[in-house]
Amino acid sequence: MVELTSSEPYGSLSGPPPVARRFWQIHHRQRIRLWGIAFVLPTLMFFAVFKYGPMMWAIELSFNSYDMVSTPNFVGLDNYRSLAADPIFRETLINTLVYIAGSTILTTIIGLSLALAINTGIPGARHCMTAMFLTNLMPIIAVCLVWRFLLHPYGLVNQILQPLGFGRIDWLTSSSTAMPAIIMVTVWRFAPYFMVIFLAALLALPEDYYEAAELDGAGAIRRFIHITLPLLMPTIFFVVVVSALLCARIFLMPYLITGGGPGNATRVLSMLIYETGFSYLKMGLAAAISVVLFTIMMGFTALQIRLFARSEQVYM
Amino acid sequence: MKKSAIGSPTRRDVVRSIGVAGLGAAVSVPITRRAFGQTKKSVDISFWTFDNPQQRPWVQKRVKMFMEQNPHVRVDFQWFAFGDLGKKISVGFATGTAPDGFVSQDWFMPVWLDKGLLAPLDVKQLGYDTFTAFTGDFAKAFVDGATKDGKVYGYPMWFYGYCNYLNAKQFKEVGLNAEKDWPQNWDQLGEVAKRMTVKDGDKFVRQGFKFAMHSSQWTMIQYNPILLQSDGKWFDDSGKCTINNEAGIKAMTIRASIAQKYGAEDPADSIATNPIPGMDFLKERASMFFCHPLPISLVKAENPAMEAENYFRPVQYPGVQTGKGFSTTYGFNLVINGKASAEKQEALHNLYKFMMSDLVDAWKDAAPFTFAKRTGWADNPEVQKFPYVNEIIKAKDEGVFLPRSLVFNELADSMHRAVQKVMLSKADIKKTLDEAAAEVDRATAAYKRA
Amino acid sequence: MTLEVADSRRNANGLMRHLPALRKTVGLVLLASLAFAFLVPILWMTVMSFQEGGKMFNLRTEWIPAVWHFENYPNAISRAPFVQYFINSGIVSLTVMATNVVFCTFAGYGLAKFRFPGSGLVLLLILSTLMLPLEVTLVPTFLIVHKFEWINTYQGIVAPLLIDAFGVFLMRQSIISIPSDYIEAARIDGAGELRILLQIIVPQCVPALSVLAIFSFRDSWDQFLWPLTVVSIDRLRTYPLGLVQFGEEYGYPATEQMAIAALATLPVFLLFLILQRSINRGFGLSGLK
Repeated sequence: MVELTSSEPYGSLSGPPPVARRFWQIHHRQRIRLWGIAFVLPTLMFFAVFKYGPMMWAIELSFNSYDMVSTPNFVGLDNYRSLAADPIFRETLINTLVYIAGSTILTTIIGLSLALAINTGIPGARHCMTAMFLTNLMPIIAVCLVWRFLLHPYGLVNQILQPLGFGRIDWLTSSSTAMPAIIMVTVWRFAPYFMVIFLAALLALPEDYYEAAELDGAGAIRRFIHITLPLLMPTIFFVVVVSALLCARIFLMPYLITGGGPGNATRVLSMLIYETGFSYLKMGLAAAISVVLFTIMMGFTALQIRLFARSEQVYM
Repeated sequence: MKKSAIGSPTRRDVVRSIGVAGLGAAVSVPITRRAFGQTKKSVDISFWTFDNPQQRPWVQKRVKMFMEQNPHVRVDFQWFAFGDLGKKISVGFATGTAPDGFVSQDWFMPVWLDKGLLAPLDVKQLGYDTFTAFTGDFAKAFVDGATKDGKVYGYPMWFYGYCNYLNAKQFKEVGLNAEKDWPQNWDQLGEVAKRMTVKDGDKFVRQGFKFAMHSSQWTMIQYNPILLQSDGKWFDDSGKCTINNEAGIKAMTIRASIAQKYGAEDPADSIATNPIPGMDFLKERASMFFCHPLPISLVKAENPAMEAENYFRPVQYPGVQTGKGFSTTYGFNLVINGKASAEKQEALHNLYKFMMSDLVDAWKDAAPFTFAKRTGWADNPEVQKFPYVNEIIKAKDEGVFLPRSLVFNELADSMHRAVQKVMLSKADIKKTLDEAAAEVDRATAAYKRA
Repeated sequence: MTLEVADSRRNANGLMRHLPALRKTVGLVLLASLAFAFLVPILWMTVMSFQEGGKMFNLRTEWIPAVWHFENYPNAISRAPFVQYFINSGIVSLTVMATNVVFCTFAGYGLAKFRFPGSGLVLLLILSTLMLPLEVTLVPTFLIVHKFEWINTYQGIVAPLLIDAFGVFLMRQSIISIPSDYIEAARIDGAGELRILLQIIVPQCVPALSVLAIFSFRDSWDQFLWPLTVVSIDRLRTYPLGLVQFGEEYGYPATEQMAIAALATLPVFLLFLILQRSINRGFGLSGLK
């Protein structure tokens, strides 16, 4: 039976007497640590050039006013002050938080449920997975065209809902349904994406625990809660963080479907950044908005890392 | 002393052979065909425009002809989707990789000029003796956006006004005559639209009239005349936004009246797409629609019957006063990057002059898109052949221009939001306009600070 | 291990192991309906790609075309150099897929199994590259690529996409669940670190590697803003740029745009079909029995 927890970081070692072993161990550990850094180094170097450089530039820019054509000039916290006083920014920020929360939660739950359903081994389930994954492959511009059409007041979605007793719903033009509609399209697009990831993880789960649990007489639900979920924590962590980061950045899809409307109902920060930078030529202000978004996502991710760190001890 | 292949040495060749090539370039006269040899230094210029199925192939054709006639000039001609060109240009300016010449929407000119990005044009090279000769050949509206301090920074190319397109067949169905009964003021527009409307319970089978609501540019273009006709102004003399004063409220009320007062429009029910805003009109779901000149090929592609029987017909934009309607006229200028070298600028001048030297040919390829130029094309029989062409030309000549503002995009986005709130969320007009005006004032203040 | 055994092992952690046939059928019907619901948009797109242009915007869709316009496909491709665009997209995506698979595995392994000081912080740092939208980093990224003289080149399109933090994170999470005892055992046996990676870790995360390959191909396949910025010449355009421009062409049947969109889904789908088997068959060794 494999031990689920291990108190020593590198597993148990048996061997030569303590004193001699300790000396050899230190050297050994050092070397291993260096290998660890070596494995990560190429990525960090690449990021340093292509990611951190531009990011530093953008963060510095947030304290400047820059119209893309003249040199930036320093304005200190002015950009941030004007954001704080801007009702549109506040509305957009709230929209973004709602959008990220709604999409992430729904995508994670639905993605996991789909993966579990497919994993039951029902014949034909695998084909359903392939079919659903296809939906993620449609080019964005086709996605937006199709959904604008399907969500038309007299489009297919309403045509289906009407006999069920719903009245006409102006999905994309009513401020109460526009954001739910965008969340729905986002979940539609990304749940299959994460379903595949969950499925890959489910398939890699070791069998032994389940066999033991069945021998002990544990039911399906208990098996799920006490075995599957804990073992899936790294993947859940992954899906939650990645889907939140994706939703924070996503721009073309909501932009092409509603353009932020009606009014400001579906304006999210990524749209505001794009408009402020490229339409109004206020790159400094756009950078400031990005920094706000960045700070929020950093905080969220750091929190997730801490929350899930303990669950990862299982594997260490 | 070098002899030119065509004849005896010109003064130019003499000057060149003494090695004052730069001086020679500055007093250049366009040279058409050279039999052989490149006695002229070769010039590479980049020229970008937006894509349009008719306009771009014509521009491409002219560029190719120009290169054939001027073998020492190589033009790197690129085109991008309409919405993407602006991005490319901005990034280009930001990184020093902007093209030498490009086409600019006229409402961006104030911003380019304010930031000193464009080179002033030499009207002599374009074929005009004086500055006033140039501005006289184009209606004041167009030139206002392209001139500053007695210098001109853009060569107006295609400019069009908006017409009210009617479905003449549907007019006939309800017993109206498109020739005589076309709406000349806003109340008439509402009445006619109401008469054209066909409903099935709550659902519109046919909307009498449709406003395009897909982009902030179109919102501005359609709203601009309504505001000005109501004696409103976008900004007062101190720069404060005045869309929310009494005249502004009147304008917005007019804007909302077709749907809200006359019940002839359903703003939420539209199958328009960004590339084809007139889809509802073309599919005969709407009887009237404000639009720039509609290309025949577009109508044919979406509604062959409408094109074959020619029952789509442009009339003038309605006015607050009967018979005194006018629309917005807007368009595109050929401009030159201020950082381009002297030879490149010269080459571009020649290119632009050549491109715009045969407007009848342009009309043949790109009808019904009209030109800013007064002379040289409108009376040509080729042009006059086009159905209702004089309505389209009249709309262009009598139209007013969009507000020349340094915060035009912010203004457009605020107006767009305001119109959406009023039309889709049935918000209170005064409150909505107050919010929009405040947004614009904030944007103006922010621009000044920067 | 035979596929049979693998199958029953797969079902072990499923919820309906010894299910009567009826429940299985109901389950399949539900799943299929759900899959169908998800598929409606793509079905619409595919049907429309064979439709006549004028019918695209009918609100009551004609789901089975009265006339099948197969010529939409060759017509659409001929309107612009789409073959070249697709080749460009292919080159970009294959390159990005290859570099991601290699370097994300290295980095993911390093973060998962090596407890060097600050590895949590490094994870956060790596994830932070996903937090600033491209719109703000567009200009400096362009300037860097410009410095390398990679504007209007394949290298330029590919450069910022070579390693994606998403991939690093994915590999880290999947490698973390591999029991460390394997690694330790191999170390004691004197195996070098690279050997351990290649012969022990990699075979165990084949599903994750397949997922990584598919997703990094797919994400770069769809890229729009970056190629738009870095490419100003027609022969290097990737297909999303062509598709957007195509949308603005009136005069052609609108359904041709759907034909291009349908074509665009094929390469990624093919890749998925190929790699799907390794996702499903997945794990070779498991458990330290």
